[in-house]
Amino acid sequence: MLKAIRDRIRAKFEDYTTTTIEIVASATIGLIVGAIILYMFGYDVIRCYSIVFTKGVRDINYLLTKASPIMMTGLAFTIPMIAGVFNIGGEGQLYVGALTSILVAYYTHNILLAATTGALAGAGIGALIALLKVYRGVNEVITAIMLNWTLYYIVLYLITNIYYDPTIPHQSIPVPEDARIGYIASPWGSIRATFFIGVVLALIAYYVLYYTKLGYLLRVSGLSPRSAKYAGFDPNKAIIYSMILGGAFAGIGGALLTLGYVPYIDTTMSIVFGQGFTGIGVALLGRNNPIGIIFSSIFFSVLIIGGQMMELLTGAPPELADVLTGVIVISLALPYAYRMMISYVRTRRMIQ
Amino acid sequence: MNPRASAVEMKNIVKIYPDGTIALRGVNFNVMKGEIHGLLGENGAGKTTLMRILYGEIKPTRGEVRVFGKKVSFRGPWDAIRHGIGMVYQHFTLIPAFTVLENLYLSLSAIEKVSLSDVEERVKNLMEKTGLKVPLDAVIEDLPVGLQQRTEILKALLRNAKILILDEPTSVLTPIEVKELFNILRKLKDMGITIIFITHKLKEVKEITDRITVLRKGKVVETVNTHEVTEVDLAKMMVGREVFLKIEKSPPKIGKKVLVIEDLWVKDDRGLDAVKGISLELHEGEILGIAGVQGNGQKELAEALAGIRPIIKGRVLVYGKDITHLSTAERYRLGLAYVPDSRTIGLIYDMTVTENSVLTNLSTVLSKLMRILWNRARSVASKIVNEFSIIIPSYDSPVRYLSGGNQQKLMVGREIIREPKIFIISEPTHGLDVNATEFIRKLLIKLRDRGKAILLISTDLDEILQLSDRIAVIYEGKIMAVGRPEEFTLERLGLLMGGVRA
Repeated sequence: MLKAIRDRIRAKFEDYTTTTIEIVASATIGLIVGAIILYMFGYDVIRCYSIVFTKGVRDINYLLTKASPIMMTGLAFTIPMIAGVFNIGGEGQLYVGALTSILVAYYTHNILLAATTGALAGAGIGALIALLKVYRGVNEVITAIMLNWTLYYIVLYLITNIYYDPTIPHQSIPVPEDARIGYIASPWGSIRATFFIGVVLALIAYYVLYYTKLGYLLRVSGLSPRSAKYAGFDPNKAIIYSMILGGAFAGIGGALLTLGYVPYIDTTMSIVFGQGFTGIGVALLGRNNPIGIIFSSIFFSVLIIGGQMMELLTGAPPELADVLTGVIVISLALPYAYRMMISYVRTRRMIQ
Repeated sequence: MNPRASAVEMKNIVKIYPDGTIALRGVNFNVMKGEIHGLLGENGAGKTTLMRILYGEIKPTRGEVRVFGKKVSFRGPWDAIRHGIGMVYQHFTLIPAFTVLENLYLSLSAIEKVSLSDVEERVKNLMEKTGLKVPLDAVIEDLPVGLQQRTEILKALLRNAKILILDEPTSVLTPIEVKELFNILRKLKDMGITIIFITHKLKEVKEITDRITVLRKGKVVETVNTHEVTEVDLAKMMVGREVFLKIEKSPPKIGKKVLVIEDLWVKDDRGLDAVKGISLELHEGEILGIAGVQGNGQKELAEALAGIRPIIKGRVLVYGKDITHLSTAERYRLGLAYVPDSRTIGLIYDMTVTENSVLTNLSTVLSKLMRILWNRARSVASKIVNEFSIIIPSYDSPVRYLSGGNQQKLMVGREIIREPKIFIISEPTHGLDVNATEFIRKLLIKLRDRGKAILLISTDLDEILQLSDRIAVIYEGKIMAVGRPEEFTLERLGLLMGGVRA
């Protein structure tokens, strides 16, 4: 077993090294560009960054709890991506998962049932996007973007008009105390189990992708639909399965958010908004690898929390924190663009 | 006009691709002003490479190109267009959702400032002069292929093409459309336009051209006046062989009937009939070679048999069992194996050797809970690698790091390991060096001697002649003739592949 792992690492050593270099380099570029922007706006760069990276990691429980939902939406992007589908609908799938979990938890007080139905609700949205793509030829990006907003307003309608909390009308009904995710003791203080559930789910995703028939089908179809057909697989099934899985993960992300972090949705939607989109960045930084996503979700969480602290302590506008994460995501895409350019130049040369 | 003036002179053109493939080995090609010049040759003879050089798409490694007596070195097709060269590809470069007029406007506006009404007027004039009638307001995707092609020709003429290159223009046309095209070409010729007609169809090249240049393996065999040669002469020039690579082969021990194809009809990606009523039989212990020029329905036939492409009409029987409506996976389970003509389909370059080794037989390495037993997959991989002496960096290396020959061995080996009863194999030695080619050919003979039924689809005549126990010649989706190799002379094969019954 150990030998097999060693062989694998040796065979892919080059790939692993370049990936690591790429990730580190793009994070560095992101931070440098962020520094320039901070400087241009007249803020003390060193102070800002030291706030981001010290305050960001001060409360481990907060950090990890905040990382969990975006870890899930990261997987919601990655699994379809591996099967060649661009799931930009993690956002809407998370809304639905969050609301469903709240409602089920409120009425049944059963945490497991709440999480499962949240996942199923997300999976349903994912399936809808996939079915429209396969049977009606509708581009998944268009469906997903439109659904994101449709679901945003449906959820908003439901929490303001039907499922609002009578005592605090600008909030939805809450997840009852007995249906919230509990804490686990650790050397860094007690930590909510949310994060560990997330890690276990990410590991399951990894297992499914690389150790099961389903995962093989998804990967083959994503890399080469024609090869999939040749092998006797149906690439359309891969699209549907991957979107069901992706939607389910986004739905669970919503469940983890409401069952394990903020037990309600308020009418500004600020608790759920953006979690799905951030997941795309998390997935890209994690190089579409479930294990990588565990780490990149923590990194993003540091940036988000640290950015808020920076805003609080230096008065820097909140957008600067977004700019920072944005720049990092863009610079992560750079190596890919760079590689494409190299191969373009190479083919040009080959032709001449 | 001086009939002796030359429109195109290509002198000693050599083209070596960066991967070492020599496409052209010193080609001299002359086209006179105002003639229709046929460029004839098998697949890989270098026809398309030569024309892509003339059209400025690629640069020759060595050699000189002159257009209307002026030495040129094109920087790109736009440069060639400016010198009066137009090209009509086999696959059209039109925007399907645009109308004819919009397409013409688009192509013209790329080189000069024009308005839509300008273009309309010029097109109408041009249509009047040439008789190339196309409804200008029709949307391209609604038009039949023949009219789409006319639009392409109009496009070239609008850009003032004096030399028109047509790449296999008749391959997509019905016989009536071919007749119409030929009338148009004659008219264009009368207008003084020079036409280069790339084809492998003997009858057509004989009918329409004034002179013919025959290419074979990157060299010019001869340039002849069309009226001085017969179709048989042309076939001989096209397929003429020097030496055969001899492979020892015992007489076949023909067994039971394994595969029966009855009146099979299959469509290609564009929805046109590609296989038109093919019926064949294949027995245990024999190799049936399908000879033909590329694009005559071979790929569609193979994919239909493998279940990848739907069968429109007809039946396929394996050991008497109707498999016409079975899925690919079910057919593989019944003992059918298919090796596609392209490694990009048969292998997934970004997956490892081990992962690729189980692509078509994943079920053998699954646990009851659908888990992939990678240890077992690894032993399948090592069995293939050892049995066929494949050189790999490691089992966990992506297949893209393997050489072409080793990739091919892996793809073929994977299917052999499965012990199928029927083997459909396309271009098994395409792009391989001599050693790898010999290895794979001997392997196929060995399989046949072990009683397997092999359907060998190849555009390489050497391969067909060396390996086949029976040969079927395919042309435009139909079988022209079936017989034992002794029944075919090279000329006859050449004629049949060119669509002439002989």
